Amino acid sequence: MTSPQRLVWDATARTRGWFVLASATAVLGSAGTLAFPWAMARALDAVVARRPAAGPVLVCASLLALVVATGALQTLANGGYGSGTVATLRGSLARRALDAGVPGTADFPAGDLAGRLSAGCAQAGAAGVTLVTASAAVLTSLGGVVALWLLDWRIGLCFSLGVPPLVLIARMFMNRGSGLFLQYQETQGRISALLLEALGGARTIGASGTAAAETRRVLEPLPELSRTGHRVWALQRDAGWQVGLLIPAVEVLVLCAGGLALLNGDISAGQLAAVVGYTALAMAALDQLDALFALGMSAAGARRVAEVVDQSAPAPGTRPRPVAAQGTVTLSGVTVRSGSRLVLDAVDLTVPAGTALAVVGRSGAGKSTLAALIGRLREPETGTVAIDGVPLRELTPQALRGAVGYAFERPALLGTTVAGMIAFARPDASHEDVVAAALAARADDFITRLPRGYDTPLPDAPLSGGEVQRLGLARALVHDPAVIVLDDALSSLDTATEARVDSALAAAWSDRTRVLIAHRVSTAARADLVAWLEDGRIRAVGSHAELWQLDDYRALFAVDTGPGTAPDRDTRSGPGAEADPDARGTAEAEADHGTHPHANPHAQESV
Amino acid sequence: MSDAAPRPIDRRMFAGFLRQHRGAAVAVTGWSLLEAVPALASGLLVAAALDRGFLAGRPAEGFFWIGLLGAAMVFRALMTRTLTPWLGRLVEPLRDDLVTAVAAGAVHRAAAGARDTAGSGVARLTVQVETVRALVSALLRSARQLGVSLVMAFVGLAALSAPVAALTLPPVLLTLLLCVPRLRVLARRQRRQLRSEEALTAAAGEAFDGIRDVVACGARDRVAGDLSARITEHRDACRAVARTASANTLLVALGSHLPLLVLLLTAPRLLDRGALSVGELLGATSYLVSGVAPALRSLVAVLGSWGVQLATVLRRLSRSTPTTEHRTPGSSGQDLPARTPRSPDLSLVDVGYAYGLGAVPVIDGLSLDIPAGSHLTVVGPSGAGKSTLTTLLAGMARPDSGRLTLGGVPAADVDRAWLHRAVTLIPQEAYVFTGTVRDNLRYLHPEARDADLLASATAVGARALVDRLGGLDASVGLDGPPLSSGERQLVALTRAYASQASIVLLDEACCHLDPSAEERAERAFAERGTTLVVVAHRISSALRAPRVLVLDGDRTAVGTHGQLLRESPLYADLVGHWVSAGTS
Repeated sequence: MTSPQRLVWDATARTRGWFVLASATAVLGSAGTLAFPWAMARALDAVVARRPAAGPVLVCASLLALVVATGALQTLANGGYGSGTVATLRGSLARRALDAGVPGTADFPAGDLAGRLSAGCAQAGAAGVTLVTASAAVLTSLGGVVALWLLDWRIGLCFSLGVPPLVLIARMFMNRGSGLFLQYQETQGRISALLLEALGGARTIGASGTAAAETRRVLEPLPELSRTGHRVWALQRDAGWQVGLLIPAVEVLVLCAGGLALLNGDISAGQLAAVVGYTALAMAALDQLDALFALGMSAAGARRVAEVVDQSAPAPGTRPRPVAAQGTVTLSGVTVRSGSRLVLDAVDLTVPAGTALAVVGRSGAGKSTLAALIGRLREPETGTVAIDGVPLRELTPQALRGAVGYAFERPALLGTTVAGMIAFARPDASHEDVVAAALAARADDFITRLPRGYDTPLPDAPLSGGEVQRLGLARALVHDPAVIVLDDALSSLDTATEARVDSALAAAWSDRTRVLIAHRVSTAARADLVAWLEDGRIRAVGSHAELWQLDDYRALFAVDTGPGTAPDRDTRSGPGAEADPDARGTAEAEADHGTHPHANPHAQESV
Repeated sequence: MSDAAPRPIDRRMFAGFLRQHRGAAVAVTGWSLLEAVPALASGLLVAAALDRGFLAGRPAEGFFWIGLLGAAMVFRALMTRTLTPWLGRLVEPLRDDLVTAVAAGAVHRAAAGARDTAGSGVARLTVQVETVRALVSALLRSARQLGVSLVMAFVGLAALSAPVAALTLPPVLLTLLLCVPRLRVLARRQRRQLRSEEALTAAAGEAFDGIRDVVACGARDRVAGDLSARITEHRDACRAVARTASANTLLVALGSHLPLLVLLLTAPRLLDRGALSVGELLGATSYLVSGVAPALRSLVAVLGSWGVQLATVLRRLSRSTPTTEHRTPGSSGQDLPARTPRSPDLSLVDVGYAYGLGAVPVIDGLSLDIPAGSHLTVVGPSGAGKSTLTTLLAGMARPDSGRLTLGGVPAADVDRAWLHRAVTLIPQEAYVFTGTVRDNLRYLHPEARDADLLASATAVGARALVDRLGGLDASVGLDGPPLSSGERQLVALTRAYASQASIVLLDEACCHLDPSAEERAERAFAERGTTLVVVAHRISSALRAPRVLVLDGDRTAVGTHGQLLRESPLYADLVGHWVSAGTS
């Protein structure tokens, strides 16, 4: 794993200029701050001794001017450095998350990724500024200690006696802090996740009148959050108070030593003021306790960023598509696992160019995984997926996207407006192309009824599941690749609309290779070929008519058999079956459930 | 966690919070004043130690005064120790209240059908609450202490030497005065920074949520470019803030350093006139150098960053929980006593409903009887108002016109608790929440026994799923395995079956199941004797139902499958397309 420190350091290297300015001003500022008590002592002595004080006061004034100028510059540089680091971290996180693609979102849900991008990177990116500022402060404090030793060794000794316990407390504080913060963040993230979950069930909650109970459920981790919060305060109390006891002890010691030195004439009155000043500077390092807190936060944030950046991402290929490409899809020996479960088991399948292949099978048979493989949305563990003989992993991203396109069951609403959504795969598409695609997908009528038609911003467009599907189909039509994968992309359309959209798609894509993932018998019937998946293996490939002869195949659609197909069944099952044809289908289905009791739940189908 | 009822985040909430936690607020104020005593006394004690002790050749007296200073500081440490948990007792409950208000508001508004609650934007509110917590604690830890110290240092300075205080106070006051407009500029730029951060987070969430589509559309580079532009925009906004803050530093430096130079320049005259002793001069220097200057600098910096951020975030939070109550059905009819229907017979007479004023009605003049125990399947093209019908039947919305009655009682007057028990709606997007399988299954009937839950699972065909998950004690949701859409629907169906509802509304609740599983579930409900209204996803549902409603504006018709085939061209069309497709 990339260490969190390494991550922050690499980001720093990208904002070198600001980093150098921040460091330089911090060092100069420290120097000015350290010189000031000495200059002030000289001025005070001059004043007390009634000597002309203009010179020393002028030195004081110029030192102050230096401190002020470097302070202002440092604020500027810190802003530039910090924001630059954060931006760099965010850039790498965003790119890696996009490169990791669909498998990546299984480990990090979208909300979590966005959280890591905004909060995680911000915390991690603050580490550099905190370190520079804190180092400068510690440097100033060390300078203060040296000055105390130089003014009078006894004063220096008194001060130095107090330092080791202070450092010990600070270290302890840091070690205890980090785990507590992580725990706090996790509990807090859980409340967010629970809230998001409840909002997803809004309609159920509304109908059941359980909003109050749901709120209580979302807030269940709150007492724990509160307990952790109070423990953070207790930590701050313990550290704060112990430090607060040691500081005065040291200050009193130093002042006593200073007083005695003054009495003996070893130092002047002005120098005693300098002693007070240097003691304050030396102590100021302790204000960096908050910096320790911040560093704890930064470390936690950087770990969260590193987890994402460390994901493996598939390497893009370098080959263009063959010139005479037709769109033949070949899967050879393809195996996919999800955890310990075998989703696809050594699948061999060829989809000849220009044919429409329907993939059928029960829920959990591996249909959606197969669909994802064809466009390299997912990588197989073993085996090869190729288009026109070229393995997908060797194709350049551009070639791959020109070759394979998708329409999904639940398309994501991307692109700012409705038109932008339709043209998402081909942003240079003309408005006419967009409208034509919308017409073919039968989306034009509801789009024109939206407040601003095609220019309606997506968040303002109230869309049903079926309407979103039609936008997804229009998007695929505009994309127009050689191989098109329809992953249950018409499932939310009523049968009448489905039939119309389907014939429009067939007309538009008559020469394209089509892979149709479907539950409906009608889809299988319209396809040239049907691949029948069962428990991650191809059970049979053939035309719908051929497969229809098999009882098990018909059982897949058992309940879908209506009056139109009933006679076909009756001739096979003999007289007497007519009374209850559906019951037989159910019995078969149950028998099937018995042998394979939902052994392969299909997480990826809900993607 | 005080209350699960939604309430707005506004001034009244904070006033109420302070009233409720008056003890803690008073304690914090009191301990803060005590904590600042050393800031008040330090210069006075140093001056005394020098003038009466070391400079006067009496070291013992010097040690005494310095010892007193040490005692004052030990006292301060003790005060800090006592004070810190009190800060937690203000901050943690405040966070609790804010999280509660945000969560309750979001859940209730979403349940009432508000559309703007969808998505992760609302969930991000909980993150903003965290920001409030962090800012309030930071402000309480530093700005509070700094402000008190600043005032105390001046009180001490005035007690030590009135002329010095009179000379040094004006630059400090002037700085504070000049800072006000500068802080406004800073606030404006910080708001811009926050806005750009929010836009970035929203865009990132959207892109990550649709990552499959981004990759499939070959838009990876474009989306990465867009995100990177937003990242840069946010970075530039941060730098604009830094520029303003940097300019402010110059201003504040003036106020914090000028007093010392003024003191050094005027000291010879004051010493000559005897208005100031050497000890007092050193004491005053210590007030200015280690009291006033750092406190002023930090105070302005803290207010300029955390204070401005806090104001911005609070404003945003309060906007997310509007004071106006969402229109909830039944709430306006509260002057009438809630009534309990005798029977669960549903009846619609000339019912109309539109989504908002002026919109074309989704349902128009619908008349229909659904007697208790009957089975009705609703079909129709997308957008014909099938879901809306179930929403009306579930009492989640009231018809704009016509009469909807339940056992003869107008739906609006029906006792809400009775309604929620009697009517169960399972929407297409099945709701499975974090908890055990048992919690999920007895959601609508909390007293249900395990045996009943398992029997329900068996009835709707979810037993294999329950067993595979590991039984009723297994976890689902955040702590459980990912479930497919179909599996989630099985959970929701079992839940509905286990409820004691006499009316079950399935709004495409089986659309992710395969046809055989769908049939099994629907038959289970039909055989149970409850009223069953199914919004059909597949036409096969209609074939099973004794009565079918074809919903499509003025082409709406009710009848048996056979009747409708003859009388409703739309129905024939819907079925015909399917039949021809199935046999071709």
